[in-house]
Amino acid sequence: MTSSERSGIGVDAGTGARPATRTQPMFHRVLSAHPMTVRDTLSDVRLRFRAEVSDDTLGRLELVLAEVMNNVAEHAPLTAPDDAEPHLPVIHLCIVRHSGGLACALTDDGASLPDDCLLPRGLPPMLAEDMPEGGFGWFLIQDLTQALCYYREESRNYLAFSIPFTQREAEGTTA
Amino acid sequence: MQFIVEDTDSHLNITVTEPRIDAAIATLFKDKLREIVVGRRKPVHLDMAAVDFMDSSGLGAMIAVRKSLPETVELVLLALTPNVERVFRLTRMDSVFDIRPAVPAPHASRPHTAQKEQRE
Repeated sequence: MTSSERSGIGVDAGTGARPATRTQPMFHRVLSAHPMTVRDTLSDVRLRFRAEVSDDTLGRLELVLAEVMNNVAEHAPLTAPDDAEPHLPVIHLCIVRHSGGLACALTDDGASLPDDCLLPRGLPPMLAEDMPEGGFGWFLIQDLTQALCYYREESRNYLAFSIPFTQREAEGTTA
Repeated sequence: MQFIVEDTDSHLNITVTEPRIDAAIATLFKDKLREIVVGRRKPVHLDMAAVDFMDSSGLGAMIAVRKSLPETVELVLLALTPNVERVFRLTRMDSVFDIRPAVPAPHASRPHTAQKEQRE
């Protein structure tokens, strides 16, 4: 596993420069699709952006990334093609801050995403006598993201979306 | 995984000490908590103040625990942090669970028979 974090070149912290004009922080990592590795990565994402992004936006980002990456881990194929040694899917995660929010791109070599994950969906039916214990993940992802798009190319999934800033952040008044 | 369990005359106070209820521990969380609450037939007050993060698998674990209790037995979730509250709210599960703000500081009327124990 390799991992890297790049900060924007020439970030001039604390000058109060308007977000639109300063170099944008980014985060890039390659990780195995394992719940503990996902956890560590989320903690590093939080550290990377917490100085410049509100707790509310970071909370929404963390939840969506957890749902997406843990899905890859949970649905990891148990066999490898061509008798190769089975391995955990490898996720590439990239997050870039832009003026309206955090743009995220994830690719992985895990199982193909079922079509209905991307179709507009509501909450699982709530029956008093048998409440659903799952089926919330993609609802949350769809609810919290903008410009969600997905395609599969050969053995890799590509998923991209944006986590919008709160109105206050978008206006450049981050606390 | 650790829960602080206080068994009072009237109900069971359980404090969650785990900062994250996510896919890495959801199953263990569900099993341990169920083990503590099932069969006690007392209202359960679950203090969630220490939980910074919960995802849909954590929510599923909470729902499973709720379902393991008879409907007449109360399960109250106390002191949700904003990230945890968001998951309950967006999934409308805030209408299924009894969610309340943090309890005020303990007062003198608390029964002296309370037993505190730590469960690993």
